[in-house]
This record gives sequence, structure tokens and C-alpha cells, in this order.
Amino acid sequence: MAKSPKQVAIRTYQVGFGDCFLLSFLYDGNSEKHVLVDFGTTKLPPDAPKSRMMDIARDIEKRTKGALHAVVATHRHQDHVSGFATADGGKGTGDVIRKLKPAYVVQPWTEDPKLAPDAKAPPERKGEQKHIAALSAMHDVARQSLTVGRQARHLDKELRGQLAFLGEDNIGNPSAVKNLMTMGKKALYLCAGDDAQFDEDLGIKVHVLGPPTVKQSAAIAKQRSSDPNEFWQFRAAAARAATPPVDGKAVPLFPRFVLSRGPSYPIEARWLVYHARTIQGDQLLEIVRALDEAMNNTSVILVFEMGGKRLLFPGDAQIENWQYALGKKENQELLANVNLYKVGHHGSRNATPKSLWKLFKNRSTDKSNKKRLAALMSTLEHKHGSEKNNSEVPRRTLVTELERESNLFSTQALSGSSSFFHETVVPLT
Amino acid sequence: MAKAKATAAPVSVRRDFPHTHRFTIIAQDPSIRVNGRILTTEIEVPAEELAPGPCGYRVNVIDYDASTGVLYSPAVHKLRADGRVHDPFAEKSDGHLTGNPHFHAQNAYAIVMKTLARFEFALGRRIPWGSSGHQLHVAPHAFADSNAFYSKEDRGLFFGYFADQRGQPVFTCLSHDIVAHETTHALLDGLRGRYMEPSSPEQAAFHEGFADIVALLSVFSLRDVVAVLLTPQASDGGKSIAIKHLTAGALKSSVLFGLAEEMGQALSAVRGEALRRSVKLSPGRARSMVEEHDLGEVLVAAMLNAFLAIWLSRLAQLGTTRKGMKSLNLVIEEGARVSDHLLTMAIRALDYCPPTDINFADFLSAMLTVDHEVVPDDSKYGYRDTLLASFRAYGIRPPSSADKGGVWQHCEGELQYGRTHFDSMLRDKEEIFRFLWENRTALAITEKGYVEVQTVCPSHRIGPDGFILRETIAEYVEILTLRADELKKLGIVKPKDMPDWRRIRLFGGGALVFDEYGRLKYQIRNRIENAERQTKRLRYLWNNGFFDAPPDEKGHFAKLHRARAGA
Repeated sequence: MAKSPKQVAIRTYQVGFGDCFLLSFLYDGNSEKHVLVDFGTTKLPPDAPKSRMMDIARDIEKRTKGALHAVVATHRHQDHVSGFATADGGKGTGDVIRKLKPAYVVQPWTEDPKLAPDAKAPPERKGEQKHIAALSAMHDVARQSLTVGRQARHLDKELRGQLAFLGEDNIGNPSAVKNLMTMGKKALYLCAGDDAQFDEDLGIKVHVLGPPTVKQSAAIAKQRSSDPNEFWQFRAAAARAATPPVDGKAVPLFPRFVLSRGPSYPIEARWLVYHARTIQGDQLLEIVRALDEAMNNTSVILVFEMGGKRLLFPGDAQIENWQYALGKKENQELLANVNLYKVGHHGSRNATPKSLWKLFKNRSTDKSNKKRLAALMSTLEHKHGSEKNNSEVPRRTLVTELERESNLFSTQALSGSSSFFHETVVPLT
Repeated sequence: MAKAKATAAPVSVRRDFPHTHRFTIIAQDPSIRVNGRILTTEIEVPAEELAPGPCGYRVNVIDYDASTGVLYSPAVHKLRADGRVHDPFAEKSDGHLTGNPHFHAQNAYAIVMKTLARFEFALGRRIPWGSSGHQLHVAPHAFADSNAFYSKEDRGLFFGYFADQRGQPVFTCLSHDIVAHETTHALLDGLRGRYMEPSSPEQAAFHEGFADIVALLSVFSLRDVVAVLLTPQASDGGKSIAIKHLTAGALKSSVLFGLAEEMGQALSAVRGEALRRSVKLSPGRARSMVEEHDLGEVLVAAMLNAFLAIWLSRLAQLGTTRKGMKSLNLVIEEGARVSDHLLTMAIRALDYCPPTDINFADFLSAMLTVDHEVVPDDSKYGYRDTLLASFRAYGIRPPSSADKGGVWQHCEGELQYGRTHFDSMLRDKEEIFRFLWENRTALAITEKGYVEVQTVCPSHRIGPDGFILRETIAEYVEILTLRADELKKLGIVKPKDMPDWRRIRLFGGGALVFDEYGRLKYQIRNRIENAERQTKRLRYLWNNGFFDAPPDEKGHFAKLHRARAGA
């Protein structure tokens, strides 16, 4: 193993609703190695210049002196990968990151191109391939959700906002996906319990706690009598039956029988039209929310361990992903001593399970406690969920708990155009 | 002749009108085919003069698709000279049926009306929908989603459509089973509106289980469908069937599994899986099931097994056509009779169920009581013993308050009738309330909470002696609203960690069955002050997060169905 680092510094970038963290390991002789965990946004903060993402890319380039050891893309949601997209003429933020030639690109097993829906997967991995096919079919639903969210003026404003937001986050970003697939010398597609490989040259130990594979999660699923993947397949298939093609005009089922395309429907039909539309909006939101959670659950959960310190980066993993990780005794011991926690899923209520939070031994209400747990949260209010049904992100009750028992830093404290990152230095022994 | 002409067309005379209209429908769903053609059948529904839609006195079909924003033209049904409706889809090709939204509208309309008529036939009175208004909206292509549901607030049944794995559209409104299932939700909600209140896992499961039972037994009473399922075993050119195919195991695999398999092909995302699981459910596993969408399957399994057992016992009494052979037609006929009988029993049982916090044990006793009232002597086919045995196998026993044989106990106490009037008691909620109030001690009605008589209605049927039997059914609910810290006054244990200030609503109530002399025959109740039951209910709701989020009645069935599909 390489020499151990003596310090790690974490840059938390202000990307609005998204994640971007740069971990810089400092070694004797002042040499450094860098790991970038996620780079994406779906909504920049209101006061940020349009160039924010490029400014961050340039800052990463400068800070790493042109070389990245590893890139971790926890899962493929836009708010975690949009920064990896390339542009014509090499002018995209993804082009800047690509030039930093990461030795490793780390992604969940669900991104493995060998298991892509159109790839020829080995027979023993067909189940996994099916899961991935279901996930990728979600992009269709996301597109529908976005269209409805943007165009359906008859729906409640809040509902439309949610549909558009979730739709946008779940829409595929082929450019970022392709860039991630090819930019590293070595691409790693990890599942729970895998050897992280990229940790050796850093002189640290990285534990992979998630995501579980289909088999691993089946082991914890209670009495499931049918394959949950089938469920996703049908959801996606259902959406495809009426997904508006690119030009936005939906194709009716029975073109010869169309009486009206609105906006003014016959009087006797209006009551039902109004109610059916509202129901459809609610239904779509429910589906797209379920899909969103399924994608969050593909997040790679990593614990970086070095010099007596442990840093937990769980992406947007939600309860189902955590269930597997928390079910293992060795993980519980590992998690109990975490010193720094990247708050999962921008502070949503389902991404920091109570059982996880209670495990952290370094929680403390004493602000002067030097060992007190540090927490980093990258978020933007009023974009995701709703206060009406206690699903707002960040969840108020969680934030209160984090503030009470940890040194919480939230990117919402970074405003204006000048300071767009916050640095946390963790000395190591 | 001239004289006759002058007084012609006395159309208001009832006998001049046909009482039913016949409509072509798809027998089960488009996946069930005979010789490569979709199996269709004709069903009779109450006759009426339809407006375009079809829109009738209880159902209004409006074909709006919210996913594409398109309203389709309404189906128009004309009357023929003989007063019968012209069925535009009789003898039409498969493509014509599946490709024409007017047929989809007719299919949904006819099955909804037939299900309604089935309930009215069993109870001998008009049945309201659970949602307000007389006409229930039906949207046959409401949205692109593999779901279909009844929504109380939106006063309608909404049927989705989706693409199967080959990209072909699948329409839930063309499935007999799905349409009957959703209609049953609307009817059950009309009869027992409190069953949608959050209570116990069994109450939540009851709506699903009951809707499944009605849908499945309705399918088994369609002779054409059962014929198709038994055809592979038939001999003599479809006239006979060998006795070896008429065992419990053989019928289970041919008829029940057969139907589940057929249904599962395209619609498993919506319903097929649930049926398949019910059929396969073994008694042992049933006891470990606790989730609400699983529990419904336990009820269905108990009922389906009773259906099989009774069918078999009737077949045993059927003669043979030649050695080892029975007439296929008679076998099918017997099956249809059993399913019809059980269906009537299950629907009538609702009048004998408590209006709040239903559980499977109550439903079992209600069915047994209903049957006991109609057929006091059960020795010929042993319906009641078979039901008891089948339910017991799935862990469902009559409640301890029931009498011998699982039937409800007769109301024996001294009651005060002197301050109420017989005639008013037949129809007046105020009068029933007065009766309750005068007898509140004897009937254990709470003085502290809110008590409301919700319905008073007649129930007519033919008694065992051939005379018409009239009963009056009334239901009352009791509601008590209090703070969590006050629960202990009633002996109810507050769930662990529930804050003291939490506002709690407790429900109780009963069904009152009066005989033809206006005397109280049965009081089938859940006392509001039953501390054990209330403790259990609160613990369940608290542990399942009911108190975390505001109740969402609107999406109730949409969510439940989705949970079932994904389980």
C-alpha cells in the first residue's frame, strides 16, 4: 500500500440542488491526490452566475493541478452527473474534467455497459440486466412527467413544479454517461462488499456498502412473491403507451373517433375532464417519485477510512439501499465511528434512516466537543417535495436534528458570486 | 281495428317494456380465445333508454383520455321497434371490438350495470354508489397507466391502458374481472361507507378481498368461460367429462389456475398476479400474512376453496351419462349455481356486518347467519359446514360473540318499543335514533360520543316457505374524539411514543336487523368502548405511520392496487 495521507480537505461546491465534493489527500512532501465525488445540478442557486458550473470545473482543474486520481459518480441522476456532460468543441464542463485524466471512474454496478439493455449479458447476470432495463425505461416516464409539468396549465402549480423537477432530474444525460464511461483509465462498477480498488494508491481503505445487487437485496426482501422489477417494467411500458413523441403532440388511441382535443370540451364532459386530469397528474407524480427513489437507491455508498478518521459518502441512497448495508454487523461497527457524514439526498427524510443516525457515536449536543460529528449538506430549498405532506427537502426536522447534534455545513450558507465553495479540513493521525 | 288504432300505444303499461337489454361483452378479457377468436358473451342488464355515452340512470360513460388530452365521441345506442336496444357489436370481428372505443364504452357500461343489478337482486332494494350522485362516471381510457380504480371524490371509475411487452395496447376496461372489481368497490362503499376509514389491516384488506370475490364469482357464473376452461378435459365432442377430471385437485388446476394463467398473460401488472397468489395460497402460509394487500388474498382463497368444495359435493349427487362420465353441461351448470349462490350470500352478508372496523371473522358469521335465515336446513349440500371448514383452514373462525355454528346471536334482551312507531321505524332515521336512545343501556350505546343513524333500508327476499320476507336494516355509528392522554380513562392503552396531545378518533357502531314485525332480531355491533379492539387498532395505525401524514382518501385504491401489483 502507498503511504498514508496526513490530512484530507473536502471542498463542498455550491451547485444549488445537486452534489459536488472534491476530496484532496495531502501526503508528506506536500504531494496531493484528488477524488471528485459527483458533479451535477438541476437548479443553480438564484444568485449564481450562469457560468457557475464552468467556474467550478476550472476550480477543480486548478486545485488538482490537472490530475484527478478518481471520479465517483454515485448514481446517474442529473443533479449528480450533469457536470460531466461534454459539449461541441470541447467547451463543456465534462471536457474540463475529462482532461484531468482520472485513473479510475467509480459508478454503481447498474451502470456497467456489459449489462446495458441491448448488450449480450452472461446468462447468470440476466436478472441484473433486467433491473437495469427497467431503470433505463424510466427515462420515458421522466420525459412525460417533464412535458406534463411544463405544459399542463390545468394542473395545480405545485404539482406541475414537482412533475417538471422530478422529470428533469430523471431524464437521461447520454453525454455525461458516455463521458463517464470512457474518461477513466479504469472504469469500476461496484456493488456492496466489492473491493474499491482505487483506494490502494491513496494509502487509505475505502469500504463499499452499497448498492446491493438484485440478489443481495432479494435476500432482505420479506416474502416477495414476485419480482419487483416486473413492476417497473410495466410502469415504464404503461407510460410508453402514451408518451408524446418529440414534437410534443400526443397520438390518440383511436384517431377516427376523436371528438375534441380541447381546450374547450363539450359541457357535459367537463366535470369528468377536470377530474381525470387532476387524477392523471397525481398518478404521474406518484409513479415518477417511485422511479426517482429507485434510481436514488442505485447510489454507491462509500466509507473512506484513513488515519483514524471515517468519512461517509452515501450519494442519495434511501432506505431500501441502506437496509442491506445496515443489516450487516461489520458495517454497523464501521458506521458507528463515522466522523464526517455527507448528508444523503440533500437532506430528504428517507435518505438518513433513523437507524443510521442513531448509530453515529460522534453525535453530540456539545458544540465545543472536538470529536463532534461533521455533516456536509448540499441542497436548495423549495425544489423537491412539499411541506404540505412533510416531504420537503431538506426536511425541517432532519435539519434541526443535524444542527443539534453535529457541526452542520449547508451549501445554503454560500451565497453571492464570489465564494462558491466551502473547505473542511480533517487532520489525520 | 280502427278502434284498436285509436287507443294504440299505451306505452306506459309496464308489461309492454322489455325489462332487460342484451349487450355483447368480452367474456373475461381479450386474452381468452376460442379457435383463435376472442371469447365474447351476451349479458342482460336492466333496460333503460340510453343517452349517448352510453349514459343511463346509474352510469355515465365519458371517454376522455387525460394522457393524450383527447375526448372520444360517445357510443350511441338506438332502440329497435320492439323496445329492445340495438347492440351494434353483436357478431362483430375481434378487430372491430378491440379497435372501437364505442365497444369499450359498451363493455364497461354493461359490466358495471350487471354488477349493480347483481347487488340489487341479492338485497332486494336500490343500492347507492359510495360517491355522491346517482350516476357514476366511467372513463374507459382515463390515462396511460397499468392501474384502474374507484375514486369516491372524483365520483367515478377510472380505467387505464398500457402497452404490453410487444408494444400492443392492453385495455383494463375490457377485462370483466377488473370492471366488476372496481364496480364492487363503489357499491361496497355505498353500503358500508366506513370501511374506507383507517382501522385494521383486515378492514383495509376487506375491500380488496370482497371486490375480488364478487369479480371472480361473477366470472364463474358466466357459463361460456367455465366451458372454455374445461374444454381440454372434455370428451364426446365436448358433451361429457370424465369423473377423474372432477376432483378437487383437478378442478383447482383446470378452472382456478386456468383462469389465473389466462388473466396473467397481459394483465398481471393489474390483477393477474393477485389471483394467482390467492389460488396458490396454502393455508399454512396464509397465517403468516399480515400486509393489507396480502390479507385480501387470504379471504379470496378461503372463499374459492369453499366454492370448489361445494361444487364437488353437488357434482357427487349428479348422475353419470355413461360409465365414469358426467354431462359437461350439467357440470358447468352446477358450478354456475354454486357461484351464484355464494355470491348472493356474500352480498347479503354485508347487511349483517358491523358498519365499522370489519374483520374476516365478522364477515364469516354474517354469511352463515344470512344463509341460516334463508335455508334453515343445511343438510343437503352443507354450504355452511363447508364454509366454516374452508375459512377455518385459513385461520378465520367466527367471533367468540357468535352463536353455535358461527351464526350471530339473536337479540334477546327486553327492549322498549312503546315510544316509537312501527311505520316510522321502517324508513325514518330519526325514529331509529329514538329507538336507540330509549334502549341505550340495553343496546350499549355510548352517551358520551357522537351517535348517528346512517341508513334505514328494507331488505326483501323470498323466505324458505315461498313467502316474501321483509326485514329492515339500519346502521348506526358512534364516534368519540379525545386526546391521547384520555385514552386510559376508557382502559385503552396508548401506543408507545404517541404524544399526549394527539387527537384521536374512535369508531364504533352496529347494524340493526328488524324482523317483519319491527322487532329487533340482530344487533351486530362493535362497541366503541371495547378497549382491547381500540388498543389494537391504535397500535396498528401508529406503527404503520397513519398519524405521520394526513389521510389521503383520494388515492386510496390507486395506491392499494399499485402496492398489490408491485408486491
